[in-house]
This record gives sequence, C-alpha cells and structure tokens, in this order.
Amino acid sequence: MTSELGHAIVLLVSVFVSAISQVMLKKAALRTYPNHVAEYLNPLVIVAYVLFVGCTLLTILAYQGIPLSLGPVLEATSYLYVTVFGVTIFHEHVGREKLLALALIVIGIVVFATLG
Amino acid sequence: MTGARRGQAGVLLALHVLLGVYSLSDVASKKASGTTFLSPEFVLLYAVVLGLLAIYAIGWQQVIKRMPLSSAYANRAVTVVWGIFWGYVVFGEAVSVGKLVGAALIICGVVLFARADRDDATPAGGDEGASS
Repeated sequence: MTSELGHAIVLLVSVFVSAISQVMLKKAALRTYPNHVAEYLNPLVIVAYVLFVGCTLLTILAYQGIPLSLGPVLEATSYLYVTVFGVTIFHEHVGREKLLALALIVIGIVVFATLG
Repeated sequence: MTGARRGQAGVLLALHVLLGVYSLSDVASKKASGTTFLSPEFVLLYAVVLGLLAIYAIGWQQVIKRMPLSSAYANRAVTVVWGIFWGYVVFGEAVSVGKLVGAALIICGVVLFARADRDDATPAGGDEGASS
C-alpha cells in the first residue's frame, strides 16, 4: 500500500466518524430535555463532540500524505454515509435521482484520485 | 430587486463567505500536518483550525434557518474548487485535466443529490412524498 493511499484511507475514516457524530447530534436534537444545560451536557452530545475533535486530528494526520485538493474530494463521501444513515436509522426514502447523484460523486472521486 | 430577493442574495453571499472560511480550515490543517505534533506551531495552527470550524458551524446554523437545507448542501460542492485553488496557490499543487473532470463530476453529483433531497422533502402529489 502506498503512503498516499494509506493517508487517503485515514481521511475516509475521519469523514465516516464525522458523519457518525452528526447522526448522534441529530438524534440528540430530536430528544426533549428538562433544561438548556441538559441539552448540551448529555452523553450523546459530549461523545459526538469528542469524536468530532478526534476527526480534526485525523484530518491533520491524513494531510501529511495527501495533497490539499484531495481533502474536499474525499469529504464528498459524506453524502454516501448520510444517505445510508438516512435509510437505516431515520427510515428516509432514496429515489433513483439520488442514487444517480451518488454514482456521479463516487465516479468523480475515482477520476480525481486516479487520473488527477 | 425586491427586498426579499436582496435578502436571499445576502444569505447566499454569506454562505459562500462561510464556505471560504471552511476551506481555509483545510489549509490550516494541511499546514499543521507539516509541523511537529504539539509543538507551539502545531498548537497555534490547530487553534486556527478549531476557530475557523467554530465560525463555520455557528454561521451554518444561521444560514440554514434562512435557506432550504438542500440548497445550502448544493452550494457546499464549491469546497472542491476551493481545495484545488488553495492547493495550487498555497502549496504549489498541480492542476490537471483529470482533477478538473473529477471535480466537475463531483459537483454535478452533489447538486443533483441536493435536488433529489428537495424533491423528496416536498411531496408534490402522488405517493412519492407520502412514503417518506
């Protein structure tokens, strides 16, 4: 495995964990709380933010081996995760147009990473 | 131009300023990656990363109160262009045809994704909307 591929995988993991932290924040936002303090100081929100901070460090680690321009490109995989979580956790509907959109994003990432 | 329209243009402009701020957090991350972990330089750059992300997060919440989430997400595709731009200007990264074609495909995909999201969110009769 080349160094660049390894660092790209680190960034992909970071984007995935970041998407999980977003789901946790959304789950937390859907609950009702007795007061404002409990709205922020609850395990779900705290773990979500810890994960998010971890992601920022993983991103820096990833950038040791990949060009800056590849960062936002790999970050576009978040649309895949958002869709999968939307279907599995929030029971959202996925139409043909959205599947086509995801295919375009994935093809774009592959073209960018391999031919870029 | 009506007041409402001017307001929408203002929100769109604010969103793009925010996305520019977001892209700068990536520049700071990349700069930090070249320093020694926990060195003063690293800590400073990491503080810049977190600061820019905090500005972005607060601003994003304000923007999505004022424009549809799907439109905001569609505009986020521009960060791919910012990445190529800052990569070239700050780090001297090459801009190739492959990168531009890949970026164009991703942007088309993200815009289409946001459009599909908007269509899913507004049930325009039929059973499409009712199922979600």
